[in-house]
Amino acid sequence: MSTPGPESPVVLSLRGVSKAFGAVQALRDVTFDCREGEIHCLVGENGSGKSTLLGIASGFLSPDGGEVEIGGRRRRRGSPAEARRFGLGIAYQTYSHVLPLSVAENLYLAVPGAERPAYGRMSKWATSTLEEFGLDVPVKAPVGSLSLAQRQLLEVVKSLLAKPKVLLLDEPTTALGPQEVDQLHGFVKERSRAGVGIVYVSHRLPEVLGIADRISVLRDGVKQGTFDAAGLTEEALVAHMIGRPLQLAFPDRDVESREPEPMLDVSGLHGDRFGPIDLKVEKGEILGLAGAEGNGQVQFLRALAGVERPAGNASCDGAELNTRSPLAALRAGVVLLSGDRTAESLFPVLSVRSNTTIQVLGSLGRLGFLLRRRERRTVDEMARRLRIRMASIEQPVQSLSGGNQQKVSLTRPFLRGSVKLILADEPTQGVDVGARFDIYEALRAKADEGVALIVKSSDPLELAGLCDRVVVMSRGRIVDEIQGDELGERRIVEAIVGGRVPKVGSGG
Amino acid sequence: MRFRGWIPLVLLAALIFGVGAFTTARHRDSFLTEFNINNLLLATMPLALVAIGQTFAMLVGGFDVSVAAVVTMCVVTASFTLTDGKSGFGLFLGSLAVLGVGLATGIFNATLIRVLKLPSIIATLGTLSILEGASLLLRDHPEGAINFDVIDALSTTRFGFLPLAFIGVVGFVVLADLWLYRTRSGMAVRSVGLDETSSRRLGMSTGIIVFGAFVVCSLMAAIAGFFEAAQVQIGSPIIGDYALTSIAAAVLGGASLAGGRGSFVGTLLAALFLSLIDNVIPLFQQPAEYAEMTIGALILLALLLYQAPDLIARLRTSWGGVGRLRTREGEAPAG
Repeated sequence: MSTPGPESPVVLSLRGVSKAFGAVQALRDVTFDCREGEIHCLVGENGSGKSTLLGIASGFLSPDGGEVEIGGRRRRRGSPAEARRFGLGIAYQTYSHVLPLSVAENLYLAVPGAERPAYGRMSKWATSTLEEFGLDVPVKAPVGSLSLAQRQLLEVVKSLLAKPKVLLLDEPTTALGPQEVDQLHGFVKERSRAGVGIVYVSHRLPEVLGIADRISVLRDGVKQGTFDAAGLTEEALVAHMIGRPLQLAFPDRDVESREPEPMLDVSGLHGDRFGPIDLKVEKGEILGLAGAEGNGQVQFLRALAGVERPAGNASCDGAELNTRSPLAALRAGVVLLSGDRTAESLFPVLSVRSNTTIQVLGSLGRLGFLLRRRERRTVDEMARRLRIRMASIEQPVQSLSGGNQQKVSLTRPFLRGSVKLILADEPTQGVDVGARFDIYEALRAKADEGVALIVKSSDPLELAGLCDRVVVMSRGRIVDEIQGDELGERRIVEAIVGGRVPKVGSGG
Repeated sequence: MRFRGWIPLVLLAALIFGVGAFTTARHRDSFLTEFNINNLLLATMPLALVAIGQTFAMLVGGFDVSVAAVVTMCVVTASFTLTDGKSGFGLFLGSLAVLGVGLATGIFNATLIRVLKLPSIIATLGTLSILEGASLLLRDHPEGAINFDVIDALSTTRFGFLPLAFIGVVGFVVLADLWLYRTRSGMAVRSVGLDETSSRRLGMSTGIIVFGAFVVCSLMAAIAGFFEAAQVQIGSPIIGDYALTSIAAAVLGGASLAGGRGSFVGTLLAALFLSLIDNVIPLFQQPAEYAEMTIGALILLALLLYQAPDLIARLRTSWGGVGRLRTREGEAPAG
C-alpha cells in the first residue's frame, strides 16, 4: 500500500471551525484536513467534539465560524445535500435509516439521482448492490427488523453509494463483532487504495492504530495535534486524549479493613438462559461478572432485579429477595443500571434535573409540592460529586455524552436511601476514558458504604482493575472464580476463552 | 404498498358496499336512483378534497385544522368575486381570488410551522380562528348569491349520472397513490414523515417537502371551497366542521397520526363512506345524531383493526417475553 504523502491533494479541509451549543463550546478554532487515499482517524473522549466536527463537515450542522472545503470546492451554506453533491459521504453513528422502510427503499433513498435505477428495478438493483458489498440481508425486510450489526454495515454501504471522494465514518464498529470489523476494515482499506479520503472516528484505539495513516486528537473541542500513526502507542494516544497519563485508572481497593458480612445469597437460582447459580456477595464487595457475550450474564442480573422472573432462592441482607417485579426488587434495595441506558434507565428528553430526582421526588417536597430550590441543590451536589459535564441541569439528558448520561443514571443509587445491591450492566460501555474513572470511583464509593455490587463487563481489564472478585459464566453457569493475587486481565481472558465445563456448587 | 396498507381500502369498500346493499334492500326507490347517487357523490366532493389535502399534511407528520376556515373563507370570498352577472374573464379572476385565499393561508401556515417551528396543530388552530373571524367580518349573515353559471358547471356537468368532478377526483387519487408508493419523490415524502432526521441526513430537502405539503393542503381546501359554494349557493360564514371530519377521513383511509403512512384512495373511500352514512340515515327515519355516533364508533373500530397486526405481535410476546426481547437487543453490541 502506497502511503499518501503530503503532496496528495486534500479532499476535505476544515479551517478554523468553531461551534457552540448554548453555553458549551463544542469546537474551538479547529483545523483538520484529509488527503486523497488517506485514512485519517479522529479520536477523543466523548464530548470532545468529534461528532460536532463530522456534523459540520457533512453539512448537518452549520459552524459559527470557519470554512469548509470539500474536493477543493468551498461550501457556501450548510446542507447535507450540498455536501453530498460535492462528493462527501458519511456513515452516521446513529444511522440515517428510515426504519419502517425496507432495505431496498433505504438504499434507493440514499443513492444520488445519476446512479438511481428505475423504480421498478429497485429490488434487483438493491440485491446486486448488497452482493457487491458482501452484505447478506433480505432486501424486502424493513430496516427496523435487522440486527444492530447489520444496520451498521448497511449504513456504511449507503454512505458509499454516491461514490464519494471523502468518506466520514462515525464509530462504524460499535455494534460489530471481530469478524465483521475485519470485513469492514478490509473494505475501508480497499476504498482508500482507490483514492477515497477516509475520516475514521472510533473509540477503540487498537482498531484506530491498526488502520490509520494519520491520527488527530480532540480534547474539549480543541485539537491536540495530528500525528503519524506509525510509531504511535496506545499509551501515548490516551495521554493526548485525556491530557494526563493513564496510571490512575482505577480507585484503590481497601479489602483488609472490611469485615466479611454477607449481603446477597443466591442458591439454585435459574431462569431463561441461566442457572442453576449459587453465589454469595459480601457487603462492600464489588463482584465482577465475566464471560463471552450471551452466556446468561445479562439474564442473571435482570432476574435479580425482577425484570425477568427466576426460580430458586435469593436473599438479600437476611431477608428473602422479592423478584416478582422491578418495583418489588427496587423496594428491597436492588438497583439495576441497565446496559441500554437511553431505553431503560433514562428519559432522554427530560432534563438532567428530572432524571436525577425522579425516583426520590417524595423526599424533595413539602405537602406534596416540590421544593425547586431543594431539588436543584440536590442535583447540583450530585453533579459536582460525580463530575457530570453539562451546560445546565435543565439540559436534556440526550444531549449529554454517553459517559455523562451514565453518571446521571448513577446519581439514583446515591440519592436513594436504602440501596443494598447495585447491578451494573456494562457501566462504561460507550464511555470515554476520563469519565470511566469517575464512574469507577462512584461505584467504589457505594461499595465503601457497605453496598454490594455486581458489575457485568466485557472488558477484562476493567474487571481486573475494579472488582474484588470475578466470577466467569459460561452457558448460564458459573464456571470459574478469580480473586486475590490471581485477579488479572490475562487470567480472566484465559478463563473466558478456556471454556471450562460448568461445575456444580461453585461460587460463594 | 405492503399487505397491511390494503386493510383500510378493503374494509372501506366492504362497508360502502354493505351499507349500500342494506339500504337498497329497504329503500330501493329513494336510495338507488341516479338522482340520489349523483347527489351523494356531489355532496362528497368538498369533504373528499379537504381530506385529500389533509392526507398530504398528515403524510409529513402534521395536521391542518385550519382547512375548515379556509373552506368558509373561500365560500365567503366567492360570494364577492363570483357574483351573478359576471362572466368569462371576470369569473376567471374571481376564481383566482378564491385560490389565492388558499395559497396565502397555506404559505402562512407553512411559514409558522417550518420557519417559526410551531407545532402544526397549534399553528393551524391559530389560523383557523383568524380566518373564522375574518369570514364573519366580511359576511355577518349568509348573503351574496354565487354566480349561477359556476354552480351549474360544478354540479351538473356529468358523464352519465356520475359528476365529472367526481371522476376527476377518482383519477387524481389513483395517480396520487401511484406517485406516493411507486416513485422516488413519493417515497421521499413518506420518509420525511417517518423519520425527518434520517431524511435530512440522506440529503432530502425536508423543509421544502413539509412546506409544500401544507401549501397543497390549503389549496385543496380552497378547491373544496368552490364545491361547497356550489352547494350552499350563498356567502355563508357558517360552514360545516371539516377540520375533524377531514382528519377522520384520512385516518379511516389509513393515514397514521405519526406521519409517513396514508393512502389517497383510502381517504376518498372514507370520505365517500362518511357522506353515505349522512345520506342514508334520514331514509331510515333516524335522527342525524345517530349518524355522528355511528361514525365515531366506526372510527374506533377501524383504528383497532388497522393496528391489529401490531397488537397481535405484542400479544405474542408475553410479559416475560418483553424482557427477553429487550435483552436480546441489548446483547447485540458485542464489546
